[in-house]
Amino acid sequence: MPTNGSSVSRRQLLQTTGAAGTVGIAGLAGCSGDGGDGGGGGGDGGDGGDSDSYPALGNFPVEGDTVTFGFNVPQSGPYSSEGQDELRAYQLAKKHLNNGGGWIEDFEDLSGDGVLGYTVDSVNGDTATDADTARQSAQRMINRDDAVMVSGGSSSAVAIAVQGLCQQENVMFMACLTHSNDTTGKDCVRYGFREMFNAYMTGQALAPVLEEEYGSDNTFYQLYADYSWGQTVQESMNQFLSDVGWEELNSVPTPLGTSDFSSYLSEAANSGADVLLLDHYGLDGANSVSQAVNAGLDEDMEIVVPLYNRPMAQAAGGSIEGVFGTIAWDSQIDNDASNSFTTAFEDEYDRVPSGPAQLAYAQTLQYAAAAERAGTFYPPEVIRELEDYEYDNVGLGQETMRACDHQAQRSIPVARGLPESEQSDGNFIDLVQVTSRDDVGYACDSGPAAECELGEYGDE
Amino acid sequence: MTVLADILTILLNGLQQGAIYVLLAVGLSIILGTLKFVNFAHGALYLIGAYLGLFITGQVPLSNGQLADWGIEAYGIGLGFTAALVLVPIIVFIIGILMERFVARSFYDRPDTDQILVTFGLAVIVQELLRALLGGSSQPFPQPGWASGPISLPIIGNFPRWRLGVIAITAVLVIGVYALVEYTDFGLIVQAGTLDEEMVRLLGIRLSRPYLVVFGIGAALAGVAGVVGGPLANVNPNIGTEQLVPAFLTVVIGGVGKIEGAVVAGLMLGTLQVALIQTGYAAWSQVGIYALAAVILLVRPQGLLGSEVDVA
Repeated sequence: MPTNGSSVSRRQLLQTTGAAGTVGIAGLAGCSGDGGDGGGGGGDGGDGGDSDSYPALGNFPVEGDTVTFGFNVPQSGPYSSEGQDELRAYQLAKKHLNNGGGWIEDFEDLSGDGVLGYTVDSVNGDTATDADTARQSAQRMINRDDAVMVSGGSSSAVAIAVQGLCQQENVMFMACLTHSNDTTGKDCVRYGFREMFNAYMTGQALAPVLEEEYGSDNTFYQLYADYSWGQTVQESMNQFLSDVGWEELNSVPTPLGTSDFSSYLSEAANSGADVLLLDHYGLDGANSVSQAVNAGLDEDMEIVVPLYNRPMAQAAGGSIEGVFGTIAWDSQIDNDASNSFTTAFEDEYDRVPSGPAQLAYAQTLQYAAAAERAGTFYPPEVIRELEDYEYDNVGLGQETMRACDHQAQRSIPVARGLPESEQSDGNFIDLVQVTSRDDVGYACDSGPAAECELGEYGDE
Repeated sequence: MTVLADILTILLNGLQQGAIYVLLAVGLSIILGTLKFVNFAHGALYLIGAYLGLFITGQVPLSNGQLADWGIEAYGIGLGFTAALVLVPIIVFIIGILMERFVARSFYDRPDTDQILVTFGLAVIVQELLRALLGGSSQPFPQPGWASGPISLPIIGNFPRWRLGVIAITAVLVIGVYALVEYTDFGLIVQAGTLDEEMVRLLGIRLSRPYLVVFGIGAALAGVAGVVGGPLANVNPNIGTEQLVPAFLTVVIGGVGKIEGAVVAGLMLGTLQVALIQTGYAAWSQVGIYALAAVILLVRPQGLLGSEVDVA
């Protein structure tokens, strides 16, 4: 990727000398980096929010000596436990970006001394798991706090609303937990990037496992959260389970934030289906699965929760026993990046990080690294650095951030809930397999990507 | 699965759904009928009941809110669910009495709008205080160990044991309150006071104390509702407000001041809501209960069992 030319502005000079002053020559060498195989070389010393080389766009150029990231997570509502864990990971990412630690050593582009010579600051928002609230919160981050990057999610409705706003405002959006096909499908945007896989890929990863476990010729019944995410999960699960010869008897929408599923579950029990899919997430998911087990549904049918995570399994307790699902990431995934994140998180918070936390951490560092490679916070350049970027440093093997729809092509962990007697210390699930990215995914002109129109970079 | 099983499941689920409405509505109805006091803080009493239940039952980890910021990691005394079921009504009874003495009493002679404003304000204060201190996130309320898991019923099949417990507890409490009002001297004084306050006072009977007790009982019922309703879903600061509207609706449909009315109306609303969900019209379940209320009030403005005199 071409970076801006060779002219050295006043700000660049100040930043370079500033960095040298605080961390010495060794730190500067780390900052300038030796290229990295991801693309493009880091430039010499970082060009910061260079206003001379690029026109003002969105919140570029960055004023002062700090750069602000906006962390927009659900701190209330059904996805609040996920949100709280995301927030912990965002704070950890900020700390590591400014002071080193965690993945900083493994990200060749990052120095641990801020980003492009700027100290990273952050603002937090509560989305209340609601798209309108999230949008207002993000708007405030962009207008009042001058955030150059907003990250968040947990609720695809939230992610889609906020990334739409970010596209409009020319501010980067690094999606955290959002699993709807639409996020990088019909609602995709140029300014948004998703590390998380989607419902389509969940269907591809989960269907073969379910077929192997429960056999073919099964009938199934779905309860799904009635918004973008649940709807696409219902669609994709139906598509891929039908492919292995299963038949959907019925699928029933439930409003987001439903806490009492008893009537829906009675109807599901009466359907006589072999398998019950609960397409619910967060506290809703924990509720629906525990209420299903409490009503004795697991005696006659197998329960599947297509997407879950550690806080959900914890809240569901013994009810999660034997339940299959896909997860964003889990601390049991054993590789250097995974282990180093788990250790750093445990050292800081004395608790095991969840999948959404890993996403939050990875996406923040990914943005910072892209800005370092671009040598500027100028959004179109950062976007170009992220597009088709190849990496293998976030704990899930080799990945590509695909340019055509900004969807990471990555492997998918499939999990199964542990019985209550075996649950301990943040360990609630058994990792069944990590489905390789070669076995899931779709071409740029098929699946959800076929409907994706990314929109403009902003410098056309 | 037979049609009979479907119908029985709907009825049982409806009974359970309605039970919480009934518990709240009975308390609300006797306060409204006897004291002519519009208590919009009734949902807050439910909320207090639920949080007190959590506090007494177990250890609840704190992840956000002011207490967490102060470094407190969990709250709760871990006495178990049965203790909560006994202690919460007593505590909320006392809260109710304090509320009558220091808030409600000075508003008896003032217009309904004043009563609504002061009690609604109180409800918002309680709700936001809990949110500020304990955080806005939902807490799972564990079911009592002795009532978790399914129970196998004839025809219907498996049914959650705790939900049967909710129906039973509601039945016992409502019958108890009904007996108290209908068959005791205390009830007689309260009923007489409702009909003709001045006459009762002329007979040398002080009404302030029975009124205090009525308010306390109404509050205690809301507190119990919080404890038995908590394990059906989750506890968060919004549940009080969410329950208030259906509870008022139940009172209005059933007829103000009528315990039987509250029971009939609560069960009707619960069953209708469940029937709509189970027959595939889930999206219409909320609309349904309001439509039913509108139809009933058009036909019988005084409510199903209310007498026209009571409304005046």
